[in-house]
Formats: sequence, C-alpha cells, structure tokens
Amino acid sequence: MAFPLLSLIVFTPAAGAAVLILLRSDNAVRWTALAVTVIDLALCILMLARFDTATHAMQFTETRPWVPALGITYALGIDGISALFVFLTGLLGWICVLASWVAIDRKVKEFMISLLVMQALMLGVFCALDLFLFYVFWEAMLIPMYLIIGVWGGEGRVYAAFKFFLYTLAGSLLFLIGVIVLYFHGGETFDILALTAQDLPFQVQAWLFFAFLFAFAVKVPMVPVHTWLPDAHVQAPTAGSIILAGVLLKMGAYGFLRFSLPMLPEASVHYSTLMLVLSALAIVYGGLLALAQDDLKKLVAYSSISHMGFVTLGIFALNFRGLEGGILQMFNHGVTTGALFLFVGLIYERTHTRSMADYGGLMKAAPVYTTFLALFTLSSMALPGTNSFVGELLVLSGGFAANLAVGAAAVLGALLGAAYLLGMYRKVALGPASVGARFKIRDVNAREMTAILPLAVFVLWVGLYPKPFLNIMDASVKHLLAQVHAKGGGQ
Amino acid sequence: MTAADLLQSILASLPEIVVVTGACILLILGQFVRKGQEHFLVWASVAIVLIAAVGTLMLASEVRPAYTGMFIADRFAAFFKVMFYLATVLTFLLSPKYADVEGIGSSEYYVLLLFALSGMMIMASATDLLSIYVGLELMVLCTYVLTGYLRQQRRSNEAALKYVILGAVSTGIFLYGVSLVYGLAGTTQLDGMAAAVAGDPLDPGLLLAVVFIVAGLVFKVGAVPFHMWVPDVYEGAPTTVTAFMSVGPKAAAFAVILRVFLNPLVAATDVWIVVAVIAVVTMALGSFVALVQDNFKRLLAYSSIAHAGFAIFGVVAGGADGIASVMLYLLIYTFMNLGIFSIVIMMRNGNISGEVIEDYSGFAKPHPGLALLMLLYLFSLAGIPPTAGFFAKFYVLVALVERGFVILAVIAVLLSAVAAYFYIRIVMVIYMREPERAFDPALTPLVRAALAFTAAGTIGIGLFPAWFLRLAQQSVFGG
Repeated sequence: MAFPLLSLIVFTPAAGAAVLILLRSDNAVRWTALAVTVIDLALCILMLARFDTATHAMQFTETRPWVPALGITYALGIDGISALFVFLTGLLGWICVLASWVAIDRKVKEFMISLLVMQALMLGVFCALDLFLFYVFWEAMLIPMYLIIGVWGGEGRVYAAFKFFLYTLAGSLLFLIGVIVLYFHGGETFDILALTAQDLPFQVQAWLFFAFLFAFAVKVPMVPVHTWLPDAHVQAPTAGSIILAGVLLKMGAYGFLRFSLPMLPEASVHYSTLMLVLSALAIVYGGLLALAQDDLKKLVAYSSISHMGFVTLGIFALNFRGLEGGILQMFNHGVTTGALFLFVGLIYERTHTRSMADYGGLMKAAPVYTTFLALFTLSSMALPGTNSFVGELLVLSGGFAANLAVGAAAVLGALLGAAYLLGMYRKVALGPASVGARFKIRDVNAREMTAILPLAVFVLWVGLYPKPFLNIMDASVKHLLAQVHAKGGGQ
Repeated sequence: MTAADLLQSILASLPEIVVVTGACILLILGQFVRKGQEHFLVWASVAIVLIAAVGTLMLASEVRPAYTGMFIADRFAAFFKVMFYLATVLTFLLSPKYADVEGIGSSEYYVLLLFALSGMMIMASATDLLSIYVGLELMVLCTYVLTGYLRQQRRSNEAALKYVILGAVSTGIFLYGVSLVYGLAGTTQLDGMAAAVAGDPLDPGLLLAVVFIVAGLVFKVGAVPFHMWVPDVYEGAPTTVTAFMSVGPKAAAFAVILRVFLNPLVAATDVWIVVAVIAVVTMALGSFVALVQDNFKRLLAYSSIAHAGFAIFGVVAGGADGIASVMLYLLIYTFMNLGIFSIVIMMRNGNISGEVIEDYSGFAKPHPGLALLMLLYLFSLAGIPPTAGFFAKFYVLVALVERGFVILAVIAVLLSAVAAYFYIRIVMVIYMREPERAFDPALTPLVRAALAFTAAGTIGIGLFPAWFLRLAQQSVFGG
C-alpha cells in the first residue's frame, strides 16, 4: 500500500489534540495547535500538488477492513470534488486557531482540543469512501461543535448549542436509516463506489432521496430547516462561526454531490425542480432576512443561507456550468464568509458590540481593517474580479439553462445581496466617526493580518484566474454528470 | 438419570456450583471479618467470580445439555454469563467506599450479590420454564433484599416493598402462563413445547399463555406497561445496587426472553406484534419522561427503560442478526451504564448526594478528566459515534431493516433523538455552568479501576467493534 497521505491529513489534528492534553501553559497550547494546523495545511498542499487532474477516479485511496462481518471498511480517497474541500478545511484550520488566539481566554486547552478534533472529523468526512465511516465522522462532529458553541459561545449559547445539536441529530438519524436501507439494496456493502454503481428501483430512490435530503438540508441549511443557523452562528465564538460557515455548511452540499446525485440519479432528476425552487427560496428569503438585520453576525449568517442557496441551485441545475459553479461557490463561500466572520470577530473583540447602529466611520480609525473588509464585502456580493463572481456567474448561467424563473429569482437574490452588504459596509465603515469614536479601536495587528492575507489572496486568485481550481474538479464533475444523465435521463 | 449423566450435568453447571458454594462459604467466613477488613470480602467475592469465569470460558467450547433438558451450557449462555461476571465484578469494585459512606458494609451484601449472580446464570442457561422460574426467583429475591439495604432510609424501604409486591404479582402471572402451557402442550421444556404443537392449528389458549409469560418477563426488563416499579426502585435502592440491577438482572431477563420468544411455538403466535408495540411504547415513555427528571437516578431509570425499549426492537427483528444485536447491545450497555453509575456512586461523599443533576454544575472545571469520562458515557448512551453506544444502536437498526421493519427503525431513531436531549442536558450542566461548590468525589483506586475499565469498553468497542460483533454472532444459539 502506498504512503497513507490522507490518513495522515485526517489524523494529524487528532494526534495534535492528544498532545495538547499533556501541555500545561496556555501559550504552549496555542503554539502547538498552530503548529499542528500548519503542518496539516502543508500536507493538504502536498496532496494538491500530487493530485492528478486528468482522472475522475479516486486518488490516494486506502482500504483496510474494519468490521468485515457487516462489510464495513476503513476506506479513504478523494476525487476532484472532495480535494478542494479537504484543502479548504486545512486552510481554515490554522486561521481558526489564530482567530481564537486572544478571543478565547478561558479553558484554552479544552477549546483547542475541540477545535483540532473537529478539524480531524471534518477532514474525515470529505475523505471517507465508506458510508459507515462517513457517518461516524459526520455524526461525531456534533460532540466538539456542541461544546465549542455551548462552552465558549455568547449569552444565549446553551440554547443555540441545543438547537444545533438536536436539529442536526434528527436530520442525520433519518440519513442513517437511509444508509442502512441502501446497504441492503446495494448488496450489503457500505463502499461508496460500489453503491454508486447500483441501479435502484425508482421507488426506493425516491424514499432515500428524501431521507438524505432531510439530513443534508439541515446542514446546508435550506429553507425551512435553517432556523438553527442564525442562533448557532451568533452565539458561537469566532472560530466556531468560521468552521460552521466555512466547512460545516459545505457538508450538506457535499452530501448531495457524493450521495444523492450519483446514487439516486433518477430521483435527483425527478425532484430537481423541487430542489431548484427550494434553492431560489433560500436565496431570496435569506437575502430579505439579511436586509433586516442590525446584528453584524446575524447579517452574515443570513447571507450564508442566501449564498448556500446559490450552491444548491448550481448543483440541482444538473448541468456542467451549474455544477462547477456550485462547487466553486462552496469553496468561495468558505473563504469569503469565513473571512467576514473573522472580521466581525475582530471588531467584536475591540468593541464588544455587534450592533451596526453602534458603528460608523471606522475607516478613519482602522483603515487597513476597512480596506480588507471592503474586499471581502465586494467578494461576498460577487463583484467581477473577485472569487464569487466566477462562481455565481457559472451558477446563474447553469440555473437559467435549467429553469428560467428560478434563474430570475436568483438574480433578484444577488441584487438583495448587494443591498444588504453595501448597506452594512456603509453603516460600519463610512459616515461620521462620532459614534465609532466611543471605542478605542486599534487597527489589525500582525497576527490578525496573517490570518486575513491568505484569504484575501484566494479571493483575488479565484476571481482573476479560476482555471486551476476548475481544473481540479473538471474530470470529476464531467463523470458525475455522465452518471446522473446516463441513469436519470434528462439533457 | 445415570451417574455418567449426572457427572456431565455437574460439569456443565460447574460455574453455578462454584458461585453458590463460594457464596455459602463467604456467608460463614463473613462473620469473622472484623471492622476495617472489609476489603477481604471484596477480593474473595471477586475471586469467586473469576474462578467461575474461567470455568465458563473452558466449558464454552461445546454445547452441553444437562439435567434432562432443564439446563444447557452453550455459547449463548456463556456470552451472557461473561456479561454478568463483568457487571458483578464492577459492582464489587464500586461497593466498599459507597458502603462505607452509607454505613451499610456487611458480608451479607456481597453474599446476596453472589446469589443474585447465580440466579442470573441459571436463567441464561435454563431451557425449561421451571428452571427459568427457579433462576428468576433466586435472582429477584436477592435484589428485593438489596433494594431495601439502606435500612435507615424510608425511600429504600418503600422501594423494596413496592418491588416485592409488584415482583410477586408478576411472578405469579408468569407461573400461571407456565401452567397453561403445561396444560396445553404437556411439557414445560422449551424444545418440547414446540414439538408438542407442531402441525396442529394454534390453540387460542396458547396465545393467552404466551401473553402471561411475556408479561412476567417484560416486568423484569422494566418495559411498558410493567415499568412503574423501575423509577422508584432505582431511586430508593443503594446506588451500587441500582447500577447492578440496571445491567445484570435486566440482561438475564433478556437472555430468557430471547430463548423463549424465539422458540418456534412463540414465534407461531404472531406475538411479535405485541412485542413491537411494547418496544415503541417503552422507548417513547422512557425517553419523554426522562426529559423532565431532576434526579440523576430517576433519569437513569427512565433512560434504562428507553434502552430496554431499543433492545426489544432487536427481539422484534429476530433472526440471527436480531439476537446478536440484542446481545451486543446489552454488553455495550453494561459498560456505558456502569460507567455513568460509577460517577454517580463516586459523587456520593460527605454531604453531597450526587443524586441531583444540579449537583454536577460546573463539574468540568475542577475535574476535567472525570467530566470527560462523563461526556463519553453520556454521548455513548445517546448513541453518538464513535462511541460503543452508537454501534449498539446501529446493529439493532441493521437487524430491523434487514427484516423489512423500516418504519420501526425510523421510530426508533426519532425516539433516540428525543433521548439524546436529556443526556446532552447533563453534559450542558457539567460543562456550561459555573461550579457552585467544591466537589469531593470518592475516587478510590477501586473506583478508578472501574472507571478505566468501563471507559475502555465504551470507547474500545466503538472504535473496534469487529471482534465483539463476531463474538455475539457466534454466540447466537442454533446459528
């Protein structure tokens, strides 16, 4: 067997968490956590460097028997779809550590352990090639995330943590039943690739589609099961919000890409209109809600719902541009919204308020901060030259090809995005400085800059030259589409 | 019965004989143990159980019927007996300090636990309704006394009295069912019962008999509608006894249920519909009522009702996987439930009762390690991977779906989502509140050992379930 690179990527943070247990001083904990996440990022970069973009097949595969009696294996592997998310998770990992450097001042060790365990589990989700293994990673994430929100969160953290936990648990338990049903219909195996090759009767596919939909829709989140998200985001500490927005929300969409589409192609095609409508609903409704917010974090949280609507829209457009756009948009959303949460966290650390009414004229007090805020705000509203423009353009062109009305609704959502994001920027950064002067605000320091810069680089890189990113997924997306349309019909 | 048969029978029941003889000797020796030397009792009791365990493992290689069809030593029985040994030894480890704190230390306590163990062992091996009855009574009589062991406390007395009265009624119902079976089938042997009615159309009287037997057994596992005793008895009994009862006698009753229910005769009566309803209602009641409990022991009582419901789903599924899933579930439950009970027992020290959930506010701050263990047990009870509790539930669900009971599987998971709430509520209390007082857990080396062992089982079976799964599958009778 070849060098187990993926196992190394997945378990490096877990091993790091074990090391943290032994440490005593908070600073040692912080530096070790940072070192571990940086090493993990380096491994992710190594993985991308050795990634073969010409094939849709799974790469870096590892297989070991785990529970042979039930056909469960420990199988890891990535293709063009998951590679980007493994990288994204690695990228955000050390940024989360930096974002928590001073923001988390009590139980630092426990926090960093939770963060690293969380990182390991998220990487596991994207690498798993066995449904059982996938489910274990997927569900186990609830434990550290529950603690991150509930122990280190804001005022209403307990309520938010419970809501997050129960919503996600209820969703994924139905998914579990779906997985078991699939296991028996697919020849008693949990091997994702083998299950993808099965032809299931339409009736079964339809049931499974909704069982899966429930789990993934909660995670994405899609309207109407989105209500946990604003609570969780607002209460979570900054690093928790970055993880939630950057990676956790991607898992729902990843579930659609990895399971619903290839395993249940007929049902996916059959119910694609429903999914498009739900996506359009999320785009417009999320945008309207964001427009009405005064709390900065809530605004970004609702904008997430809207942006994830674009992702699911692209996926269920079921054409090449839509899918590529959707996947790229997942990556973009991770970078941009992760950055926006980071920015909200940075300013909150200084002023301890998130109400936009308290701000104004920040431009004068913190020019560097507001400059970068402008970049990420523009990126979030998909200005040409930024990453989201490429993604959203692809999604929209795919969406219009699939359904004219839904495409039109999505454009409306994009307009709403411009309205609430520009409104936010105006209230926070521009205008008279009188209100903002109440607080002693210092500009970003070197540590914060280190966290911001790489994200800014990706905003511009994807915006100006998206080819390498699209290249990674090209072969896999083509293969996925071929699978869907060969069995599911359509186009 | 020839002398050779008798010899074979004695060989097959050697572990039981060891335990009973050991208990009798300990009863006598116990009178000479002076104050301050109670540790001798613990080690002697543990030694007796370990000798029996060695015997059981050596006998497990082949099937040994004994006492003219009343008794059998097979792998199925061996699996359950190992589970009982585990539960008993862990209870022994937890007992000395607790008994000291409560002032109930005496040799009879250990002797009664050993006798209860022998009753459970007979139940696991019994293949005749009458030998089942003997084992059952031996077990419950000991637990009646143990429940009332806190003689100075009214609620302990009340619990014991309730338990005796309700238990006696349920035993009576069980015996009535047995007598009906004897009248209709002419035998009380499980194999004989099936043969006697083979080919004949089913007698409605038989259904009645089966319902009575079901009622008697369901009482022992604490399933609805015979669950009312569970919360009171669990709350009133000494916590060590509660811990023991929640895993040992319950598993013994499940051993009998599996042997009786999956008998061809019972299988022919469509009784599984009744059992399915019992499973759903039991799990629903346990999960919903536990939501509003403030007392830790009552909460664990309802949690144990809910878990019994989940295990009964495995009985409903039937078949080799169904039986194996129940066995694995009970084994895993033994680890995680004794784990959480170890914590409750450990907390009982000084003037802290450790019985109110609020007592644990902010426990994570001064004792991060113990809090982490609690977190592990609680998430395992809630069924969150990668703990063993998840695999236990997962395998029951696999067995259910395999038999086509998808709807039941959906009900089971939705109810376990409800149940998850009260487990994570405790996690919330220990992690997300500020401590209000100093904690003084009675962390003796024996308690440490119990915690380490249960934690290793809870996480170990979760990460590497393959070996335990194969063990359970190979221990299924006739499979």
